Amino acid sequence: MFYYNYTNNKENSMYIYLPIAEQPIHSLAILGVGTFLGLIMGLVGVGGGFLLTPILMFLGIPPPVAVASVANQLVAPSVSGVLSHWKRSNVDFKMGTVLLVGGVIGSSIGVILFNFLGKIGQLDFVIKSSYVIFLSLIGTLMLYESLRLILRKRKGKVSRGKLHQHNWLHGLPFKTRFRKSKLYISILLPILIGVIVGILAAIMGVGGGFIIVPAMIYLLGMPTSLVVGTSLFQIIFVAANTTILQASQNQTVDIVLATILLLGSVVGVQIGAKFTNIIKGEYLRLILSAIIILVSLKLLADLITVPSDYFSIIIHR
Amino acid sequence: MIKMKHFRYYLFVIIFSISLSIEGKTENQIVADLSQENVKISTNFLGAKILLFGAYDGKPGDDIIVIVTGRKGLVTVQKKEKKFGMWVNTKKINYINTPKYLSISSNRPLKEILDENTQKSSQIGLNFLNIRTQPGSKILNNENWREALTRNMIISKLWSVNENSVILNKNALFRSYLNLPSNVTVGKFEVKILHYRSGKLISTEKSTINVSKSGFSAQIYNIAQNYSTLYGIFAVLLAVLIGWGTNLIFRKV
Repeated sequence: MFYYNYTNNKENSMYIYLPIAEQPIHSLAILGVGTFLGLIMGLVGVGGGFLLTPILMFLGIPPPVAVASVANQLVAPSVSGVLSHWKRSNVDFKMGTVLLVGGVIGSSIGVILFNFLGKIGQLDFVIKSSYVIFLSLIGTLMLYESLRLILRKRKGKVSRGKLHQHNWLHGLPFKTRFRKSKLYISILLPILIGVIVGILAAIMGVGGGFIIVPAMIYLLGMPTSLVVGTSLFQIIFVAANTTILQASQNQTVDIVLATILLLGSVVGVQIGAKFTNIIKGEYLRLILSAIIILVSLKLLADLITVPSDYFSIIIHR
Repeated sequence: MIKMKHFRYYLFVIIFSISLSIEGKTENQIVADLSQENVKISTNFLGAKILLFGAYDGKPGDDIIVIVTGRKGLVTVQKKEKKFGMWVNTKKINYINTPKYLSISSNRPLKEILDENTQKSSQIGLNFLNIRTQPGSKILNNENWREALTRNMIISKLWSVNENSVILNKNALFRSYLNLPSNVTVGKFEVKILHYRSGKLISTEKSTINVSKSGFSAQIYNIAQNYSTLYGIFAVLLAVLIGWGTNLIFRKV
Protein backbone atom coordinates (compact mmCIF):
# COMPACT_ATOMS: atom_id res chain seq x y z
CA MET A 1 0.00 0.00 0.00
CA PHE A 2 1.07 3.53 -0.68
CA TYR A 3 0.15 5.90 2.08
CA TYR A 4 0.00 9.63 1.88
CA ASN A 5 -0.44 10.18 5.57
CA TYR A 6 0.55 13.26 7.48
CA THR A 7 1.79 10.96 10.21
CA ASN A 8 5.07 10.50 8.34
CA ASN A 9 5.93 13.96 9.53
CA LYS A 10 8.34 13.93 12.48
CA GLU A 11 7.00 16.90 14.43
CA ASN A 12 3.53 15.40 14.35
CA SER A 13 4.62 12.31 16.23
CA MET A 14 3.81 14.16 19.47
CA TYR A 15 0.14 14.17 18.61
CA ILE A 16 -2.18 11.50 19.95
CA TYR A 17 -5.67 10.71 18.68
CA LEU A 18 -8.28 10.81 21.43
CA PRO A 19 -10.73 7.94 20.86
CA ILE A 20 -13.77 9.49 22.57
CA ALA A 21 -13.18 13.18 21.82
CA GLU A 22 -12.43 11.95 18.26
CA GLN A 23 -9.59 14.35 17.54
CA PRO A 24 -5.82 14.48 17.86
CA ILE A 25 -4.14 16.57 20.53
CA HIS A 26 -0.52 17.47 21.37
CA SER A 27 0.47 15.07 24.14
CA LEU A 28 3.19 17.27 25.72
CA ALA A 29 0.86 20.26 25.94
CA ILE A 30 -1.71 18.15 27.77
CA LEU A 31 0.96 16.68 30.05
CA GLY A 32 2.16 20.21 30.90
CA VAL A 33 -1.36 21.43 31.63
CA GLY A 34 -1.85 18.43 33.92
CA THR A 35 1.39 19.09 35.81
CA PHE A 36 0.60 22.78 36.35
CA LEU A 37 -2.86 22.00 37.70
CA GLY A 38 -1.52 19.21 39.91
CA LEU A 39 0.91 21.73 41.40
CA ILE A 40 -1.92 24.12 42.31
CA MET A 41 -3.94 21.23 43.66
CA GLY A 42 -1.10 19.98 45.86
CA LEU A 43 -0.45 23.47 47.20
CA VAL A 44 -3.98 24.58 47.94
CA GLY A 45 -6.01 21.39 47.79
CA VAL A 46 -8.30 22.85 45.16
CA GLY A 47 -8.11 24.10 41.62
CA GLY A 48 -7.70 21.02 39.47
CA GLY A 49 -11.01 20.93 37.73
CA PHE A 50 -12.27 24.46 37.52
CA LEU A 51 -9.20 25.59 35.58
CA LEU A 52 -8.76 22.38 33.62
CA THR A 53 -12.27 22.14 32.18
CA PRO A 54 -12.20 25.64 30.60
CA ILE A 55 -8.67 25.02 29.25
CA LEU A 56 -9.76 21.76 27.58
CA MET A 57 -12.83 23.43 26.08
CA PHE A 58 -10.56 26.20 24.85
CA LEU A 59 -8.36 23.54 23.19
CA GLY A 60 -11.42 22.33 21.31
CA ILE A 61 -12.44 19.27 23.34
CA PRO A 62 -16.26 19.02 23.30
CA PRO A 63 -17.60 20.26 26.68
CA PRO A 64 -19.32 16.95 27.61
CA VAL A 65 -16.05 15.01 27.03
CA ALA A 66 -14.00 17.65 28.88
CA VAL A 67 -16.27 17.59 31.93
CA ALA A 68 -16.38 13.78 32.15
CA SER A 69 -12.66 13.22 31.52
CA VAL A 70 -11.63 15.84 34.08
CA ALA A 71 -13.72 14.00 36.67
CA ASN A 72 -11.77 10.85 35.80
CA GLN A 73 -8.35 12.50 35.98
CA LEU A 74 -9.16 14.16 39.34
CA VAL A 75 -9.26 10.73 41.02
CA ALA A 76 -5.51 10.18 40.69
CA PRO A 77 -4.08 13.40 42.19
CA SER A 78 -6.73 13.18 44.92
CA VAL A 79 -5.64 9.65 45.90
CA SER A 80 -2.02 10.68 45.78
CA GLY A 81 -2.70 13.88 47.73
CA VAL A 82 -4.74 12.15 50.43
CA LEU A 83 -1.96 9.61 51.03
CA SER A 84 0.57 12.42 51.55
CA HIS A 85 -1.73 14.36 53.87
CA TRP A 86 -2.63 11.18 55.76
CA LYS A 87 1.03 10.60 56.52
CA ARG A 88 1.12 14.03 58.16
CA SER A 89 -2.16 13.21 59.91
CA ASN A 90 -4.01 16.01 58.13
CA VAL A 91 -7.17 14.08 57.21
CA ASP A 92 -10.42 13.96 59.20
CA PHE A 93 -11.84 10.71 57.88
CA LYS A 94 -15.08 10.96 59.82
CA MET A 95 -15.88 14.39 58.42
CA GLY A 96 -14.71 13.26 54.97
CA THR A 97 -17.05 10.24 55.03
CA VAL A 98 -20.05 12.38 56.01
CA LEU A 99 -19.21 14.86 53.23
CA LEU A 100 -18.81 12.15 50.62
CA VAL A 101 -22.21 10.60 51.42
CA GLY A 102 -23.71 13.95 50.43
CA GLY A 103 -21.26 14.23 47.53
CA VAL A 104 -22.22 10.89 45.98
CA ILE A 105 -25.94 11.77 46.21
CA GLY A 106 -25.26 15.21 44.75
CA SER A 107 -23.09 14.03 41.86
CA SER A 108 -25.71 11.45 40.87
CA ILE A 109 -28.32 14.23 40.70
CA GLY A 110 -25.79 16.36 38.81
CA VAL A 111 -25.20 13.78 36.04
CA ILE A 112 -28.96 13.47 35.47
CA LEU A 113 -29.24 17.27 35.31
CA PHE A 114 -26.23 17.37 32.96
CA ASN A 115 -28.03 14.99 30.59
CA PHE A 116 -31.17 17.10 30.64
CA LEU A 117 -29.34 20.37 29.94
CA GLY A 118 -27.52 18.75 27.03
CA LYS A 119 -30.84 17.71 25.54
CA ILE A 120 -32.32 21.20 25.66
CA GLY A 121 -29.09 22.70 24.26
CA GLN A 122 -28.24 24.94 27.22
CA LEU A 123 -25.34 22.95 28.64
CA ASP A 124 -22.68 25.37 27.45
CA PHE A 125 -24.48 28.39 28.90
CA VAL A 126 -25.18 26.70 32.24
CA ILE A 127 -21.56 25.51 32.58
CA LYS A 128 -20.18 28.97 31.82
CA SER A 129 -22.62 31.00 33.89
CA SER A 130 -22.27 28.72 36.93
CA TYR A 131 -18.50 29.14 36.61
CA VAL A 132 -18.87 32.92 36.55
CA ILE A 133 -21.16 32.99 39.59
CA PHE A 134 -19.25 30.55 41.79
CA LEU A 135 -15.76 31.59 40.82
CA SER A 136 -16.36 35.30 41.34
CA LEU A 137 -18.08 34.69 44.69
CA ILE A 138 -15.41 32.38 46.03
CA GLY A 139 -12.54 34.34 44.53
CA THR A 140 -13.68 37.55 46.19
CA LEU A 141 -14.27 35.83 49.52
CA MET A 142 -10.82 34.22 49.46
CA LEU A 143 -9.14 37.43 48.38
CA TYR A 144 -10.78 39.34 51.22
CA GLU A 145 -9.92 36.70 53.84
CA SER A 146 -6.31 36.28 52.83
CA LEU A 147 -5.68 40.04 52.57
CA ARG A 148 -7.23 40.55 56.01
CA LEU A 149 -4.99 37.85 57.50
CA ILE A 150 -1.85 39.20 55.84
CA LEU A 151 -2.60 42.77 56.96
CA ARG A 152 -3.39 41.68 60.51
CA LYS A 153 -0.11 39.74 60.75
CA ARG A 154 1.83 42.74 59.41
CA LYS A 155 0.36 44.87 62.21
CA GLY A 156 1.67 42.32 64.65
CA LYS A 157 -1.64 41.19 66.09
CA VAL A 158 -1.44 37.45 66.30
CA SER A 159 -4.52 37.05 68.45
CA ARG A 160 -5.89 33.54 68.08
CA GLY A 161 -9.45 34.33 68.93
CA LYS A 162 -12.11 31.65 68.93
CA LEU A 163 -11.62 28.37 67.11
CA HIS A 164 -14.58 29.20 64.92
CA GLN A 165 -17.73 31.29 64.80
CA HIS A 166 -20.97 29.73 65.97
CA ASN A 167 -24.10 30.49 63.96
CA TRP A 168 -27.60 29.07 63.51
CA LEU A 169 -26.27 26.34 61.17
CA HIS A 170 -24.51 24.77 64.11
CA GLY A 171 -27.83 24.54 65.94
CA LEU A 172 -29.40 21.97 63.59
CA PRO A 173 -30.37 18.53 65.01
CA PHE A 174 -28.34 15.24 64.86
CA LYS A 175 -25.29 16.77 66.50
CA THR A 176 -22.16 14.69 66.16
CA ARG A 177 -18.69 15.06 67.56
CA PHE A 178 -15.85 15.31 65.04
CA ARG A 179 -12.91 14.76 67.35
CA LYS A 180 -10.18 15.40 64.84
CA SER A 181 -11.67 18.71 63.69
CA LYS A 182 -12.55 19.67 67.27
CA LEU A 183 -16.16 20.24 66.22
CA TYR A 184 -19.55 19.35 67.70
CA ILE A 185 -22.04 20.12 64.93
CA SER A 186 -25.13 18.78 63.18
CA ILE A 187 -24.39 15.99 60.72
CA LEU A 188 -26.93 17.54 58.33
CA LEU A 189 -24.67 20.51 57.60
CA PRO A 190 -21.75 18.59 56.04
CA ILE A 191 -24.19 16.29 54.18
CA LEU A 192 -25.97 19.30 52.68
CA ILE A 193 -22.65 20.87 51.68
CA GLY A 194 -21.68 17.54 50.10
CA VAL A 195 -24.90 17.36 48.05
CA ILE A 196 -24.54 20.92 46.70
CA VAL A 197 -20.87 20.40 45.88
CA GLY A 198 -21.65 17.06 44.22
CA ILE A 199 -24.25 18.58 41.90
CA LEU A 200 -21.90 21.38 40.88
CA ALA A 201 -19.00 18.95 40.52
CA ALA A 202 -20.90 16.83 38.01
CA ILE A 203 -22.19 19.76 35.97
CA MET A 204 -19.02 21.83 35.95
CA GLY A 205 -16.47 19.02 35.63
CA VAL A 206 -14.75 19.83 38.86
CA GLY A 207 -13.96 17.97 42.07
CA GLY A 208 -15.69 20.74 43.95
CA GLY A 209 -12.64 21.53 46.05
CA PHE A 210 -12.88 25.24 45.36
CA ILE A 211 -16.36 25.26 46.88
CA ILE A 212 -15.89 22.72 49.63
CA VAL A 213 -12.65 24.18 50.99
CA PRO A 214 -14.15 27.62 51.76
CA ALA A 215 -17.32 25.89 52.99
CA MET A 216 -15.29 23.77 55.41
CA ILE A 217 -13.40 26.80 56.69
CA TYR A 218 -16.22 29.33 56.86
CA LEU A 219 -19.37 27.27 57.33
CA LEU A 220 -18.13 24.27 59.31
CA GLY A 221 -15.25 26.07 60.99
CA MET A 222 -12.72 23.26 60.48
CA PRO A 223 -9.04 23.85 61.25
CA THR A 224 -7.26 24.97 58.05
CA SER A 225 -4.59 22.26 58.37
CA LEU A 226 -7.21 19.50 57.99
CA VAL A 227 -9.20 21.11 55.21
CA VAL A 228 -6.99 20.21 52.23
CA GLY A 229 -6.52 16.53 53.08
CA THR A 230 -10.17 16.03 54.02
CA SER A 231 -11.49 17.73 50.89
CA LEU A 232 -9.19 15.61 48.71
CA PHE A 233 -10.50 12.51 50.48
CA GLN A 234 -14.10 13.30 49.60
CA ILE A 235 -13.19 14.43 46.06
CA ILE A 236 -11.89 10.91 45.29
CA PHE A 237 -15.36 9.46 45.77
CA VAL A 238 -17.32 12.27 44.16
CA ALA A 239 -15.03 12.21 41.11
CA ALA A 240 -15.15 8.39 40.92
CA ASN A 241 -18.95 8.40 41.11
CA THR A 242 -19.18 11.11 38.42
CA THR A 243 -16.77 9.21 36.15
CA ILE A 244 -18.67 5.93 36.34
CA LEU A 245 -22.04 7.65 35.83
CA GLN A 246 -20.81 9.78 32.92
CA ALA A 247 -19.24 6.70 31.32
CA SER A 248 -22.38 4.58 31.64
CA GLN A 249 -24.94 7.31 30.85
CA ASN A 250 -23.23 9.46 28.23
CA GLN A 251 -20.10 7.53 27.07
CA THR A 252 -18.12 10.76 27.35
CA VAL A 253 -15.12 9.67 29.45
CA ASP A 254 -11.97 9.79 27.32
CA ILE A 255 -9.58 7.50 29.15
CA VAL A 256 -6.61 8.47 26.95
CA LEU A 257 -7.10 12.19 27.61
CA ALA A 258 -7.66 11.56 31.33
CA THR A 259 -4.59 9.33 31.65
CA ILE A 260 -2.21 11.84 30.04
CA LEU A 261 -3.64 14.61 32.22
CA LEU A 262 -3.39 12.59 35.40
CA LEU A 263 0.18 11.46 34.73
CA GLY A 264 1.10 15.15 34.77
CA SER A 265 -1.08 16.04 37.70
CA VAL A 266 0.06 13.27 40.09
CA VAL A 267 3.64 14.50 39.75
CA GLY A 268 2.50 18.12 40.14
CA VAL A 269 0.45 17.36 43.24
CA GLN A 270 3.41 15.65 44.93
CA ILE A 271 5.70 18.59 44.30
CA GLY A 272 2.95 20.95 45.45
CA ALA A 273 2.28 18.98 48.65
CA LYS A 274 6.00 19.15 49.59
CA PHE A 275 5.78 22.95 49.58
CA THR A 276 2.53 23.35 51.56
CA ASN A 277 4.35 23.52 54.89
CA ILE A 278 6.91 26.01 53.54
CA ILE A 279 4.70 28.58 51.83
CA LYS A 280 2.23 30.39 54.08
CA GLY A 281 -1.43 29.50 53.57
CA GLU A 282 -2.68 33.06 53.31
CA TYR A 283 -0.27 33.92 50.49
CA LEU A 284 -1.27 30.75 48.63
CA ARG A 285 -4.92 31.66 48.95
CA LEU A 286 -4.16 35.19 47.79
CA ILE A 287 -2.58 33.84 44.58
CA LEU A 288 -5.36 31.31 44.05
CA SER A 289 -8.08 33.91 44.60
CA ALA A 290 -6.44 36.11 41.95
CA ILE A 291 -6.42 33.18 39.48
CA ILE A 292 -10.05 32.35 40.30
CA ILE A 293 -11.16 35.96 39.75
CA LEU A 294 -9.25 36.15 36.45
CA VAL A 295 -10.85 32.94 35.14
CA SER A 296 -14.32 34.16 36.11
CA LEU A 297 -13.73 37.52 34.40
CA LYS A 298 -12.56 35.76 31.23
CA LEU A 299 -15.68 33.57 31.21
CA LEU A 300 -17.89 36.56 31.93
CA ALA A 301 -16.31 38.42 29.02
CA ASP A 302 -17.12 35.42 26.77
CA LEU A 303 -20.75 35.61 27.81
CA ILE A 304 -21.26 39.37 27.42
CA THR A 305 -19.15 40.29 24.39
CA VAL A 306 -20.80 40.22 21.00
CA PRO A 307 -19.92 36.84 19.40
CA SER A 308 -18.01 36.91 16.09
CA ASP A 309 -20.62 34.54 14.68
CA TYR A 310 -24.13 34.41 16.14
CA PHE A 311 -24.47 30.94 14.72
CA SER A 312 -22.74 27.77 15.80
CA ILE A 313 -23.16 24.13 14.81
CA ILE A 314 -23.37 20.82 16.59
CA ILE A 315 -22.44 17.81 14.46
CA HIS A 316 -24.26 14.85 15.97
CA ARG A 317 -22.63 11.43 15.89
CA MET B 1 13.73 9.85 -10.93
CA ILE B 2 10.40 8.17 -10.43
CA LYS B 3 9.44 8.13 -6.77
CA MET B 4 8.47 4.74 -5.43
CA LYS B 5 5.26 6.03 -3.91
CA HIS B 6 4.05 7.11 -7.32
CA PHE B 7 4.87 3.76 -8.84
CA ARG B 8 1.29 2.53 -8.95
CA TYR B 9 0.19 5.74 -10.62
CA TYR B 10 2.82 5.51 -13.34
CA LEU B 11 2.22 1.82 -13.90
CA PHE B 12 -1.47 2.55 -14.34
CA VAL B 13 -0.75 5.32 -16.85
CA ILE B 14 1.49 3.04 -18.90
CA ILE B 15 -0.98 0.17 -18.93
CA PHE B 16 -3.84 2.47 -19.81
CA SER B 17 -1.92 4.08 -22.66
CA ILE B 18 -1.08 0.65 -24.05
CA SER B 19 -4.70 -0.49 -23.83
CA LEU B 20 -5.84 2.69 -25.57
CA SER B 21 -3.44 2.14 -28.42
CA ILE B 22 -4.51 -1.49 -28.77
CA GLU B 23 -8.23 -0.75 -28.84
CA GLY B 24 -7.77 2.30 -31.00
CA LYS B 25 -11.01 3.82 -29.86
CA THR B 26 -12.89 3.93 -26.57
CA GLU B 27 -16.36 4.79 -25.45
CA ASN B 28 -16.94 7.74 -23.18
CA GLN B 29 -15.73 6.43 -19.90
CA ILE B 30 -13.65 7.12 -16.86
CA VAL B 31 -11.33 4.76 -15.09
CA ALA B 32 -10.11 5.74 -11.66
CA ASP B 33 -8.26 4.42 -8.67
CA LEU B 34 -7.34 5.61 -5.19
CA SER B 35 -3.96 5.44 -3.48
CA GLN B 36 -5.79 4.35 -0.34
CA GLU B 37 -9.26 2.85 -0.12
CA ASN B 38 -9.28 2.15 3.58
CA VAL B 39 -8.49 4.92 6.03
CA LYS B 40 -7.77 3.66 9.52
CA ILE B 41 -8.22 6.00 12.43
CA SER B 42 -5.61 4.80 14.89
CA THR B 43 -3.82 6.47 17.80
CA ASN B 44 -1.57 8.51 15.51
CA PHE B 45 -4.30 9.63 13.09
CA LEU B 46 -3.92 13.24 11.98
CA GLY B 47 -5.99 13.13 8.84
CA ALA B 48 -5.29 11.47 5.51
CA LYS B 49 -4.25 12.65 2.08
CA ILE B 50 -5.38 10.31 -0.65
CA LEU B 51 -4.37 10.42 -4.29
CA LEU B 52 -7.20 9.91 -6.74
CA PHE B 53 -5.99 9.22 -10.24
CA GLY B 54 -7.35 7.92 -13.47
CA ALA B 55 -8.01 8.35 -17.13
CA TYR B 56 -10.84 9.76 -19.15
CA ASP B 57 -11.64 9.95 -22.82
CA GLY B 58 -11.35 13.70 -23.20
CA LYS B 59 -11.11 16.49 -25.68
CA PRO B 60 -9.44 19.89 -25.19
CA GLY B 61 -11.57 22.03 -22.87
CA ASP B 62 -13.18 19.13 -21.01
CA ASP B 63 -13.60 19.36 -17.26
CA ILE B 64 -13.43 16.95 -14.34
CA ILE B 65 -15.23 17.47 -11.04
CA VAL B 66 -14.61 15.17 -8.09
CA ILE B 67 -17.16 15.05 -5.25
CA VAL B 68 -16.45 13.16 -2.05
CA THR B 69 -19.40 12.75 0.32
CA GLY B 70 -19.25 11.29 3.81
CA ARG B 71 -21.99 9.82 5.93
CA LYS B 72 -25.14 11.95 6.14
CA GLY B 73 -26.93 12.81 9.35
CA LEU B 74 -28.19 15.37 11.81
CA VAL B 75 -26.45 18.72 12.22
CA THR B 76 -27.90 21.41 14.48
CA VAL B 77 -27.41 25.12 13.83
CA GLN B 78 -27.86 27.30 16.92
CA LYS B 79 -28.26 31.04 17.12
CA LYS B 80 -27.19 33.23 20.03
CA GLU B 81 -29.27 36.17 21.19
CA LYS B 82 -28.75 38.73 23.91
CA LYS B 83 -30.73 37.85 27.02
CA PHE B 84 -30.22 39.79 30.26
CA GLY B 85 -26.96 41.17 28.89
CA MET B 86 -25.56 37.73 28.01
CA TRP B 87 -25.34 35.88 24.72
CA VAL B 88 -27.35 32.69 24.99
CA ASN B 89 -28.28 30.05 22.41
CA THR B 90 -31.97 30.69 21.96
CA LYS B 91 -32.97 29.24 18.61
CA LYS B 92 -31.97 26.20 16.63
CA ILE B 93 -32.66 24.41 13.37
CA ASN B 94 -31.98 20.72 12.88
CA TYR B 95 -30.77 19.84 9.43
CA ILE B 96 -31.31 16.21 8.59
CA ASN B 97 -29.41 14.41 5.80
CA THR B 98 -26.46 16.78 6.08
CA PRO B 99 -23.20 15.33 4.74
CA LYS B 100 -20.71 15.26 7.60
CA TYR B 101 -17.94 15.46 5.06
CA LEU B 102 -18.06 17.00 1.61
CA SER B 103 -15.33 18.08 -0.76
CA ILE B 104 -15.83 19.35 -4.26
CA SER B 105 -12.69 19.47 -6.40
CA SER B 106 -12.41 20.65 -9.97
CA ASN B 107 -9.84 21.57 -12.59
CA ARG B 108 -11.08 25.17 -12.80
CA PRO B 109 -13.65 27.35 -11.00
CA LEU B 110 -17.08 25.67 -10.89
CA LYS B 111 -18.76 28.80 -12.24
CA GLU B 112 -16.74 28.44 -15.45
CA ILE B 113 -17.62 24.77 -15.86
CA LEU B 114 -21.35 24.94 -15.13
CA ASP B 115 -24.02 27.61 -15.20
CA GLU B 116 -25.90 28.24 -12.00
CA ASN B 117 -29.01 26.32 -13.00
CA THR B 118 -27.01 23.19 -13.71
CA GLN B 119 -25.13 23.63 -10.45
CA LYS B 120 -28.45 23.85 -8.61
CA SER B 121 -30.10 20.94 -10.38
CA SER B 122 -27.10 18.64 -9.99
CA GLN B 123 -26.38 19.88 -6.43
CA ILE B 124 -22.80 20.87 -7.17
CA GLY B 125 -21.70 23.63 -4.79
CA LEU B 126 -21.96 23.93 -1.02
CA ASN B 127 -25.05 26.15 -1.18
CA PHE B 128 -26.87 24.00 -3.72
CA LEU B 129 -27.17 20.86 -1.63
CA ASN B 130 -30.59 19.45 -1.03
CA ILE B 131 -30.49 19.56 2.76
CA ARG B 132 -33.80 19.42 4.56
CA THR B 133 -34.77 20.86 7.90
CA GLN B 134 -36.46 18.66 10.43
CA PRO B 135 -40.24 18.78 9.98
CA GLY B 136 -41.90 21.20 12.36
CA SER B 137 -39.16 23.81 12.24
CA LYS B 138 -40.66 27.24 12.89
CA ILE B 139 -37.90 29.54 11.73
CA LEU B 140 -38.78 31.28 8.49
CA ASN B 141 -35.68 33.16 7.37
CA ASN B 142 -33.96 29.98 6.35
CA GLU B 143 -31.29 31.49 4.12
CA ASN B 144 -29.17 32.98 6.93
CA TRP B 145 -29.29 29.68 8.74
CA ARG B 146 -28.32 27.70 5.68
CA GLU B 147 -25.38 30.04 5.08
CA ALA B 148 -24.37 29.67 8.72
CA LEU B 149 -24.35 25.89 8.26
CA THR B 150 -22.05 26.15 5.22
CA ARG B 151 -19.77 28.72 6.90
CA ASN B 152 -19.34 26.65 10.05
CA MET B 153 -18.83 23.38 8.18
CA ILE B 154 -16.06 25.08 6.16
CA ILE B 155 -14.46 26.42 9.37
CA SER B 156 -14.47 22.93 10.85
CA LYS B 157 -12.69 21.75 7.66
CA LEU B 158 -15.40 19.18 6.97
CA TRP B 159 -16.73 20.91 3.88
CA SER B 160 -14.50 22.32 1.17
CA VAL B 161 -14.46 23.49 -2.42
CA ASN B 162 -11.08 23.02 -4.06
CA GLU B 163 -11.16 24.68 -7.43
CA ASN B 164 -8.08 24.13 -9.61
CA SER B 165 -7.08 21.11 -7.55
CA VAL B 166 -7.82 18.49 -10.21
CA ILE B 167 -4.86 18.29 -12.57
CA LEU B 168 -5.55 17.25 -16.13
CA ASN B 169 -2.91 15.82 -18.41
CA LYS B 170 -3.14 15.57 -22.20
CA ASN B 171 -6.94 15.30 -22.10
CA ALA B 172 -6.57 11.73 -20.95
CA LEU B 173 -5.33 11.62 -17.39
CA PHE B 174 -6.40 13.30 -14.22
CA ARG B 175 -5.27 13.31 -10.62
CA SER B 176 -6.32 15.03 -7.45
CA TYR B 177 -5.42 14.87 -3.78
CA LEU B 178 -8.32 14.31 -1.39
CA ASN B 179 -7.79 15.63 2.12
CA LEU B 180 -9.61 14.02 5.01
CA PRO B 181 -9.20 16.14 8.16
CA SER B 182 -8.51 14.59 11.56
CA ASN B 183 -12.08 15.24 12.76
CA VAL B 184 -13.79 13.07 10.10
CA THR B 185 -16.45 10.69 11.26
CA VAL B 186 -16.24 7.05 10.31
CA GLY B 187 -18.21 5.56 7.48
CA LYS B 188 -18.27 4.94 3.75
CA PHE B 189 -17.19 7.97 1.73
CA GLU B 190 -18.60 8.08 -1.77
CA VAL B 191 -16.21 9.38 -4.43
CA LYS B 192 -17.93 10.61 -7.59
CA ILE B 193 -15.95 11.62 -10.66
CA LEU B 194 -17.85 13.69 -13.20
CA HIS B 195 -16.64 14.37 -16.72
CA TYR B 196 -18.10 17.52 -18.34
CA ARG B 197 -17.86 18.69 -21.92
CA SER B 198 -18.99 22.31 -22.51
CA GLY B 199 -21.17 22.18 -19.42
CA LYS B 200 -22.73 18.79 -20.16
CA LEU B 201 -22.16 15.66 -18.16
CA ILE B 202 -20.86 12.94 -20.45
CA SER B 203 -19.70 10.27 -18.05
CA THR B 204 -19.35 9.42 -14.39
CA GLU B 205 -17.44 7.00 -12.25
CA LYS B 206 -17.89 6.05 -8.61
CA SER B 207 -15.59 4.72 -5.95
CA THR B 208 -15.61 4.46 -2.16
CA ILE B 209 -13.24 5.20 0.68
CA ASN B 210 -13.82 3.33 3.91
CA VAL B 211 -13.01 5.29 7.02
CA SER B 212 -12.92 3.20 10.16
CA LYS B 213 -11.41 3.22 13.59
CA SER B 214 -8.67 0.68 14.12
CA GLY B 215 -6.26 -0.64 16.69
CA PHE B 216 -6.08 0.70 20.24
CA SER B 217 -8.26 3.70 19.50
CA ALA B 218 -11.04 1.54 18.03
CA GLN B 219 -10.89 -0.90 20.94
CA ILE B 220 -11.26 1.88 23.50
CA TYR B 221 -14.14 3.41 21.58
CA ASN B 222 -15.94 0.06 21.32
CA ILE B 223 -15.43 -0.79 24.98
CA ALA B 224 -16.69 2.69 26.00
CA GLN B 225 -19.81 2.14 23.90
CA ASN B 226 -20.58 -1.50 24.67
CA TYR B 227 -19.34 -2.00 28.22
CA SER B 228 -19.80 1.56 29.42
CA THR B 229 -20.15 0.90 33.16
CA LEU B 230 -17.18 -1.48 33.26
CA TYR B 231 -15.20 1.06 31.25
CA GLY B 232 -16.03 3.75 33.82
CA ILE B 233 -15.00 1.50 36.72
CA PHE B 234 -11.78 0.60 34.92
CA ALA B 235 -11.03 4.30 34.27
CA VAL B 236 -11.44 5.03 37.99
CA LEU B 237 -9.31 2.04 39.06
CA LEU B 238 -6.55 3.04 36.67
CA ALA B 239 -6.57 6.56 38.10
CA VAL B 240 -6.47 5.20 41.70
CA LEU B 241 -3.55 2.89 40.83
CA ILE B 242 -1.54 5.65 39.16
CA GLY B 243 -2.24 8.03 42.05
CA TRP B 244 -1.18 5.42 44.60
CA GLY B 245 1.84 4.39 42.52
CA THR B 246 3.26 7.89 42.29
CA ASN B 247 2.84 8.28 46.01
CA LEU B 248 4.97 5.16 46.56
CA ILE B 249 7.62 6.47 44.17
CA PHE B 250 7.72 9.91 45.77
CA ARG B 251 7.91 8.49 49.28
CA LYS B 252 11.19 6.76 48.46
CA VAL B 253 12.70 9.77 46.67
